[in-house]
Amino acid sequence: MLAFIVHRLLSTAVVMAIVAVFIFLLLHLSPGDPAAIIVGDNATQLQIDAVRKQLGLDDPLAVQFVRWLAGVFKGDLGVSIFSHQPVGKLIGQRIEPTVSLALTTLLLAVIIAVSFGVLAAWKVGTWIDRFVMVLSVLSFSVPVFVVGYLLIYVFSIKLGWLPVQGYSPIAEGFGTWIRHLILPSIALGLAYVALIARITRTAMLDVLSEDYIRTARAKGVAMGPVLMKHALKNAGVPIVTVIGIGIALLIGGVVITETVFNIPGVGRLVVDAISQRDYPIIQGVTLIFSGVYVIVNLMVDISYTLLDPRIRY
Amino acid sequence: MATSRRTFVKGTAAAAAAVSAPGLLKAQSAPTKARTVRAVLHGDLKIFDPIWTTANMTGNHGLLVYDTLFGLDDARNVQPQMVDKWGISDDKKTYTFILRDGLKFHDGQAVTSADAVASVRRWAARDGAAQHMFKRVADTPVKDDKTFQIVLKEPYGLVLEALGKIETNLPVIMRKKDAETDPNQQVTTKVGSGPFMFNEEETKSGQRYVYDKFSGYAPRKEPASGMVGGKIAKVDRVIIENMADEQTAVAALKAGEIDFYEIPPIDLLDQLESDKNIKLDILNKGGNVGMCRLNWLHPPFDKVEARQAMLHLIKQEDILKAVFGNPKYYRSCASLFACTGQMQSDVNTEWFKGGQNIAKARELFKNAGYDGRPVVILQATNIAFMNNASLLVAQWLKEAGVNAELAASDWGAVVARRAVKKPVAEGGWNIFITWGSGEGFDNPIGFVAHTANGEAGWFGWPKDDLHEKLRDDWALATTLEERKAVARKLQENAWSYVPMALLGQWAPPVARRTNVSGFIPIPAHVPFWNVEKT
Repeated sequence: MLAFIVHRLLSTAVVMAIVAVFIFLLLHLSPGDPAAIIVGDNATQLQIDAVRKQLGLDDPLAVQFVRWLAGVFKGDLGVSIFSHQPVGKLIGQRIEPTVSLALTTLLLAVIIAVSFGVLAAWKVGTWIDRFVMVLSVLSFSVPVFVVGYLLIYVFSIKLGWLPVQGYSPIAEGFGTWIRHLILPSIALGLAYVALIARITRTAMLDVLSEDYIRTARAKGVAMGPVLMKHALKNAGVPIVTVIGIGIALLIGGVVITETVFNIPGVGRLVVDAISQRDYPIIQGVTLIFSGVYVIVNLMVDISYTLLDPRIRY
Repeated sequence: MATSRRTFVKGTAAAAAAVSAPGLLKAQSAPTKARTVRAVLHGDLKIFDPIWTTANMTGNHGLLVYDTLFGLDDARNVQPQMVDKWGISDDKKTYTFILRDGLKFHDGQAVTSADAVASVRRWAARDGAAQHMFKRVADTPVKDDKTFQIVLKEPYGLVLEALGKIETNLPVIMRKKDAETDPNQQVTTKVGSGPFMFNEEETKSGQRYVYDKFSGYAPRKEPASGMVGGKIAKVDRVIIENMADEQTAVAALKAGEIDFYEIPPIDLLDQLESDKNIKLDILNKGGNVGMCRLNWLHPPFDKVEARQAMLHLIKQEDILKAVFGNPKYYRSCASLFACTGQMQSDVNTEWFKGGQNIAKARELFKNAGYDGRPVVILQATNIAFMNNASLLVAQWLKEAGVNAELAASDWGAVVARRAVKKPVAEGGWNIFITWGSGEGFDNPIGFVAHTANGEAGWFGWPKDDLHEKLRDDWALATTLEERKAVARKLQENAWSYVPMALLGQWAPPVARRTNVSGFIPIPAHVPFWNVEKT
């Protein structure tokens, strides 16, 4: 197991290196000039050139890349072209809202989706099953921002129950923290719920048709324990896999959700940075997001051994 | 050790008090909601040096934190602001300024003439209008703590106007030690002598920018008018929220989470107007003027006939209607200096009065020797005006027999590509769409798009020696009437050689909650002094 983890961590470093090269080239070869944006629309070419020189943007691409990579190896993601603040510090300032949103969404989605999936499998062919499946298709089909605007209209403007936008740190009180996260978590989580619920239903249907389930029922075990203790655990591997894969969906969704609900998280940071071509921020955030994705997948792989003792690394 | 119920209750209460203390202290020190104005402006605030950049968001920050020596009042007349008295020598070459009593920076230090001179010199290194003036400045001696001079080599008519300009780069007064920063580097401190202080602690970069009332500010006695008069902070705190999504900002305004929204989306104005808690106002009456920049360096727009063709090709009304819908927010305009300022006229605008004439445009392109090569329009798809105007111009060009091609990208990519001087085949361009403020257009010297000095000038690089000479004449004119006369000559010449084509003028409203009032109408910026909340 330890060897497996070490091997995976080493391969993570290789993946991150490839991501770093790819992101750097993609950004610097795509059109855009942060210097022209910094000095403003009415600036002259001389002023723009002076800023490009100052920022080192007129250096050859290879020089810029080596400079950035050398910093990354030292744990320095660079400095924002616009705010002159270290990228690590900027990400640090924005991490709490993003982690809060991701965790509440994950929690909400997994609880609802697994419950719905189990229920649909148990009541397969009934109106409950069909209802859950229709809901899943709808949830997966409607874009996050449309759901977001609808939720804002109903619950914030019409009913006035929840805030339209913003984020309140947990240090300022759990109540206001959660109030600011309810609508964004629902908007972000719906697609995730649909994905997990469908996989849960399919996996549960496979397991529920197994002989040992029939045996358990024949021995008089109640349906509740059969579903939750015998079936769900054995259906766990595909469910955990899809939860892991869904993290990518979540990361993409966080960027949009944070924009719609004006949450000052890492997603907003990177959206603003893209529009202004703030290369160090885009590179830093992308690198961290890809690192998170790789590590989540590693954790998913490790969790298989807990769910299915037959799996060994 | 056993814990009694009483000890437990005491301990729990003490722990709860300790945990909640920071929040309580914060609640006590923060101004109440009723004394705080929350506003969403047109973008995020990234740069804090209003002398260094032309970004209007930085200009808004500058007006909150800093003050200026002079300013324009509601009637566009120059009035002293930080200056108490001023005078000019008989030979009109020496201006003497005396600062008002009681001026001090947010760190408590008095504002001195050394600060003023250092700031003016920094501004002269960055701003086009200031550079034009400083070509004629011999010296800027400091006479005493409150008195300084600007000594000219020859009389110059725009000294006060330049010092009081509202267009970025703003001539704000900083501390001498800040103003002496290399003009190519941004000043990162935020210490001014304006009516609001920047609250670094409460500010969250990219999220919100917090400004608190400066109790040490000494306002003028006159009522607030334009950029001058008593800049009285009537609320304790101003919070500028960075909200990227228009729909969210509108929803936040309707829900009362923000008080002011600078640029509500045009398609939602009817919805906002129908809300009894929201009022729409046009603060910036000059608004903006759209322009079609033509690349003079390459065919076909290196020929005057092709540029003249663009005047007959464009129908401003169609572009404005497509983008702004309601005619009360736009107007077509043929004046080189916009249709709301002092320099406007209808000299040499027969092309405009005749309306769109595609046949005439086709003939002019033919006379220019247009050979069917692609004409590339840089289309910024993420900005509605630029996107729609590009589409319409491309369509009209095709109707006139021109092989128009749209190069779609975001604005960030357009600002990079517009700097390319190479031919189209090597990554260059022929047309890009942008806009400038109506106030800017009214100033032949201060507005960079009015330059016609070739490749040393602004994108498109028009070149016309007579135009440049007339700009100088305009700056040297000593009266408004003289300046108007020169402006007419400028326009007469311009619509013959055609530096660019115009796309109309628009002035969209701001949206505010009805319990927030007192916004002073000035061009391009939103001042927060005089603003009240009930």
